[in-house]
Amino acid sequence: MDPYSTPRPTTGGGSPVPATGRLAAAHAGRLAAAHAGRLAAALVGLALVLGACSGAGTATPVSIPPDATASTVPAESSGPEESQTPEPAATFPLTLLDDEGTEVDIPVAPQKIVSLTPATTEILFALGAGDRTIAKVEDITPYPPAADWLPVVAKFGSVDVEKIVALGADLVIAGGNDFNPPAAIAQLRRANIPVLVTYAGNVEGVLADIELVGDAVGEGPAARDLTASMRAGFDQVAAAVQGLPAPRTFYELDATKDIFGPADDSFIAQMIEQAGGTPITTGNPAVFSIPLEKLVAADPEVIVLGDAAYGTTPEIVAKRPGWSTMTAVKTGAIRPADDVVVSRPGPRLVEGLVSLAIAIHPDLASAFPSPVPAETPGESPAPSSY
Amino acid sequence: MATRTDILGAPLAHPGWLERARSRPGVLVAGSVVALLVVLVLAVGLGTVAVAPGDTVAILAHRLLGLDIGGTWTPAAETIVVDLRLPRVLSAMIVGLGLAVAGTTFQGILRNPLADPYVLGTASGAALGAAIAVLIPVRTVFLEFGLVQVLAFIGALLAVAVVYRFSRTGTLAPLTSLLLTGYAVGSLLAAGLAMTMYLSGTNLRQIFFYLLGGFEGSSWLQLALTTPIILAATVAILLRARSLNGFLLGEEAAAHLGVDVRRERVILLGLASLITAAAVSIAGLIGFVGLVVPHVVRLVVGPNARRVLPLSALIGASLLAGADLVARLVGGIPVGIVTAVIGAPFFLVLLRRARSGYEL
Repeated sequence: MDPYSTPRPTTGGGSPVPATGRLAAAHAGRLAAAHAGRLAAALVGLALVLGACSGAGTATPVSIPPDATASTVPAESSGPEESQTPEPAATFPLTLLDDEGTEVDIPVAPQKIVSLTPATTEILFALGAGDRTIAKVEDITPYPPAADWLPVVAKFGSVDVEKIVALGADLVIAGGNDFNPPAAIAQLRRANIPVLVTYAGNVEGVLADIELVGDAVGEGPAARDLTASMRAGFDQVAAAVQGLPAPRTFYELDATKDIFGPADDSFIAQMIEQAGGTPITTGNPAVFSIPLEKLVAADPEVIVLGDAAYGTTPEIVAKRPGWSTMTAVKTGAIRPADDVVVSRPGPRLVEGLVSLAIAIHPDLASAFPSPVPAETPGESPAPSSY
Repeated sequence: MATRTDILGAPLAHPGWLERARSRPGVLVAGSVVALLVVLVLAVGLGTVAVAPGDTVAILAHRLLGLDIGGTWTPAAETIVVDLRLPRVLSAMIVGLGLAVAGTTFQGILRNPLADPYVLGTASGAALGAAIAVLIPVRTVFLEFGLVQVLAFIGALLAVAVVYRFSRTGTLAPLTSLLLTGYAVGSLLAAGLAMTMYLSGTNLRQIFFYLLGGFEGSSWLQLALTTPIILAATVAILLRARSLNGFLLGEEAAAHLGVDVRRERVILLGLASLITAAAVSIAGLIGFVGLVVPHVVRLVVGPNARRVLPLSALIGASLLAGADLVARLVGGIPVGIVTAVIGAPFFLVLLRRARSGYEL
């Protein structure tokens, strides 16, 4: 999971941990005051546990039809078929339907764009709108480097509305499914700043969001070029895994205390399927923790360490009590993955899918000689700076 | 060895500032009003975006009073001051006022220094209501009130109603029964909340932030709808300060003083619960203010509800608005943390300084 959007439940060293811990502490204090002190501890535990999985990026899909997410009200673009054909740049003013079904009026081509999700920041820079982006959300695994200098106007769970207003933003792109507080989005809209809310529940949704963001910033053709090349990348992976056996794959989000993996139908579960694996899920679309018994019974043939960046290694996994019976542990099929790239709903998703496919089918490494472009040699799966 | 002077303190020879203050309630009220105004100006003037004090005043005069006292400012500054900061500051004030008054009332009726506005299950009821609202996939917004606020309000009132209803059937003394029933129902609701949170999956985050409380989303419309409830109930409680004083002596003594104990108890509990419900619906659950502000005020002015209620209201408003300002300035941490961090040491100092006896 994207470590930004999904605070980890336990002290694995990741930056979101203090945030969650802090919130949980406050939670405990207030609930104690609220005459429920005995349950506070239990609730904090719950909050920590579930907070791990409540991020927008990898959330359970809320059945957003991909077509609806991309539909633009101006007649120039409609239907996925046309997405391959170059189109003239969108003419402003335009009205877009965002992923929450809100009609967003954008009067002029935005010159001061604020990005409130890490994926949006990546999308804007990939589309060449980086020079018109004036502020961003805090990103603990920042990408691209060109966005580093941008002032931060939002953090986990909070948005500095004042600052966005003062910067004179003319378009804010926010995250849906409560990634950004709905109250902040309402305040921005009351201040007459157009807010486009994006939320991708699946891979198609990510592509639709890239095109939606492209339309909103007047880079529709660039967006369609990008999604076309991403589709080609996905197809390439699909072709590569075609006919290969699909091993039972467990994608470990965290196992410091309880074991966390993908919920049913979650973003990561879909990614595993596309990468040629059979995802082992928790059995419930809303639950991200899986009991060890259930995992042992499911007997993963491959374990992918989405928590590799937090110091989990195959050796640690093999030593865990009860894990030794799993096929993956016996055969040593435990491999790390860069969770940010795998789960962040942005332009690097193809990279993520390729790395996931190689983690599941190591033989494919030769088919994708340089999955991660050499332009970022320093970016190992373990983000170094927190 | 303790002498009589030690026990009584030495108010006559060397009156401490607490004792001096106690003898001049008018000064205290005036001081509290001044403090409230200072907090108002500071809280509206300060924030992550610098708006010059002169401009702030000019904007307020222009928009609120229609006066043009000169000065130039950008439209952004006007939006920030009038549409973002002012409703937020006023929301914090009205909620702080309400919680302090409700806390005073609950402590007085229940004669329990640990009573706070949430003692009768209000918090758990509101939290459960909000959590359920989050799980209902309908995103209706009526007058800027989402389902969360509405169900939190209803949940808080329902919880108190249930507690009151159950507390009357037992053979225990009414107060003990109320407290214990409140605890039991509160625990049950908290379990329901835990269950709801467990089942909420990806919606957990929204529930979590509601539970933390805060004023991030404050708007004029929300303020306009909750302020009348809180102010009207506060005035009604102020008018019943005499009954509240009677309760302090014990219910039997109150009855001898001519207080219709049962009736007044229901009315006061109802009013305080109404205030609490309105407060939690717009602010989430904010602890500490309702518990400690009444004690601080009693330490200074003594137990007379006629003095404690208005002063608690003023100080609660200042404290919460000030705490919210600090929370904003330190980068948006939950306001409940700030109220505790500011308030607890202050309270401890007061406890140590209090030379004369303190009683509820």
